[in-house]
Amino acid sequence: MWSRRNKVLLIKVLLLAVMLLAVVGGLSGLGCIKGLQPVGWSGGVVADGSLFVGSAEGRLVVVNIADGSRQWSEALTKPAAAGIFGCEASTAGGGCAAAPAGVAIYGTPAVSDGLVYLGGYNGKICAFNSSSLAVRWVYPREGYLDEPVVGGPVVAQGKVYIGASDGKFYALNAETGDREWEFKAGDKIWSTPAIDGDTIYIGSFDNKLYALSATDGSKKWEFETEGAIAATPLVYNNTIYIGSFDRHLYAMDATNGSLKWKFMGGNWFWAKPVVYNNTIYAGNLDGKVYILNAETGDEIVDAIDLGSPISSSPVIVDGSVIFASQKGLIYSIDTDGNEIRPPNPIDVEKNVYGPLSAREGIVYIHALQSVSGCATSPPKGELIRLNAQKWEVEESIPLSSE
Amino acid sequence: MNPWELIILQPVINVLIVLTDYLFDIFGLAIIALTIIVRFVTLPLTLKQLRATKGMQELQPKLAELQQKYGKDRQKMAQEQMRLYKESGMSPAGCLLPMLVQMPIWIALFQAILLALAVAPEALLNLSRYLYSWPQVYPMLPLGNEFLWLNLAEGNFILAILVGGTMWVQQKMVTPVTADPRQQAQSRMMLWMMPLMFGFLCLTFPSGLALYWMVSNVITIVIQYYMTGWGALAPSAARKPVGRDKKYMTRITQVEETISEPPVEADIVVPSSEAGDYGRSGDKSQERGGGYPPSLRAIRRQSGRGGSHHPKRR
Repeated sequence: MWSRRNKVLLIKVLLLAVMLLAVVGGLSGLGCIKGLQPVGWSGGVVADGSLFVGSAEGRLVVVNIADGSRQWSEALTKPAAAGIFGCEASTAGGGCAAAPAGVAIYGTPAVSDGLVYLGGYNGKICAFNSSSLAVRWVYPREGYLDEPVVGGPVVAQGKVYIGASDGKFYALNAETGDREWEFKAGDKIWSTPAIDGDTIYIGSFDNKLYALSATDGSKKWEFETEGAIAATPLVYNNTIYIGSFDRHLYAMDATNGSLKWKFMGGNWFWAKPVVYNNTIYAGNLDGKVYILNAETGDEIVDAIDLGSPISSSPVIVDGSVIFASQKGLIYSIDTDGNEIRPPNPIDVEKNVYGPLSAREGIVYIHALQSVSGCATSPPKGELIRLNAQKWEVEESIPLSSE
Repeated sequence: MNPWELIILQPVINVLIVLTDYLFDIFGLAIIALTIIVRFVTLPLTLKQLRATKGMQELQPKLAELQQKYGKDRQKMAQEQMRLYKESGMSPAGCLLPMLVQMPIWIALFQAILLALAVAPEALLNLSRYLYSWPQVYPMLPLGNEFLWLNLAEGNFILAILVGGTMWVQQKMVTPVTADPRQQAQSRMMLWMMPLMFGFLCLTFPSGLALYWMVSNVITIVIQYYMTGWGALAPSAARKPVGRDKKYMTRITQVEETISEPPVEADIVVPSSEAGDYGRSGDKSQERGGGYPPSLRAIRRQSGRGGSHHPKRR
């Protein structure tokens, strides 16, 4: 039998051991919390037989989709380190040492008339020659924007439209990079705009979706949700569909911004939804795909659980909607029965955050190696070519220049 | 989610977000409020730790005497130290254990602030997995980083100085007053090293964390003031024993009082002439009173405080 004294001693020792474990575990993760560093998750865009994508190294990469050969632009540059002793405070908590080397690129590049456009987390908007990858122009010409650029650009009517975290939405001359007009929202803009005719739609962290004139930037209407908007709007059948941080997916009349319906998910609708046969397929950070009637917002079937958050926008290939979960599992949802078919997902064994793209039955996925919060080098990224018909990975092309 | 995130980190993050909602959407106020709440909840532990630290400091002269006496005989020295701790009711673990219990809470608060700041898109995505489905949580994000003149996501020089300064005051208050030059040097090093280190860290960490440290330091200073007064921070003429912590003071006074007035039921009665001889060469009292200096002998005399396990001489 244990005496009371021994029991007390044992409890004390156990308590001490637990505390020590917690302290050691906690301290080891103190400045290295995973997922706090800006790394980037640019999607790819296919044009003229090539795929253009921003890499985790902060470079524009062009991949020849016929033979897989690659070409890299110069890496985007960072503003000079701010702060005392050359250190920059960061949410990774580690200051200088913990910052990965590359400039993060989140937005999918846009290609038009031999130029490729993208925005960098360094607060710079760039236009590259699509064949030589030489820089044609940058905005601003001197220095950087006050805040990073997270959203992607859209090109139309000879202008590049792009929002920035400084709350400004810019319309730049596509040829020269000169600013044509700008619109100031109430908070950051991380959303990629959507354009329909002369109207451009953009969401902001001030909870609002704005409809602007593409010609002069004048506001046509605005719609306020109850949460910030980071998602890219979808325009379909004179209706705007957009997710908000209030967990709702909204459907608005494109003409006047009046609410048609809203649907609540389990978490944020971060990814841009897709529409097929009057049905909305919307991925949510709760890991579920919600399948809704585009007219009414009613659920057509129960949500399909993919097991991990969905932040990447899906693509439609031959009547199937291809989704990727953050853990790198690729699912195909057959639009006939709205069920997963083939039943087995493909595991690309890397994380997928950015939007998918597709061309001629091939799905292109920018997958990123998982890294700890204290990594000093950018994670390795790969472009995965997935044959949707055969349901197999054809090729993995490294995007790293080394 | 691992158990640490599920049990500790996730609740702290959500409370922080809800507090921001209630405190006019100002994240800086939420950090201050949560720091105060956490310090209030852990107050009993803080008090215990401070008492133990103060008690250990008071024992230092006696420990020094033991060192002088048994410096060469390590085993004996350890035995006598243990006896001293036991009889005075103090223990080095008494300082450590409450601090260790509080450490996970501090770390959780630290990590929660770091995660809730969520500046980079990855950080915001990461934060989404910690959220409860409470109605005000989701729409609150991302939290605003502006507070007074600060951007809580960036380092701030003034706040770093404030953190270093408050930490110096806090350290100074608990620095033991000693004549021993070696201890003085050690205390001086601790007094400057910690504030400088934390001040430097605050330059590289987001100032939301520095705000937490500063508020936490101020609270500690207030608690310490009510427990032990200004300590070494007060001018030496004004320095006096503080009677606020009655339990602790009673114990120490008992020890001191028994020096001049041995109780009738004492384990060992030491002739006053021998007691007076302590410190001189020869020192016969070693055989009779276990070789204790006067103050230690007094401790041993206290019945019912760990001394009862010795058979009484009748």
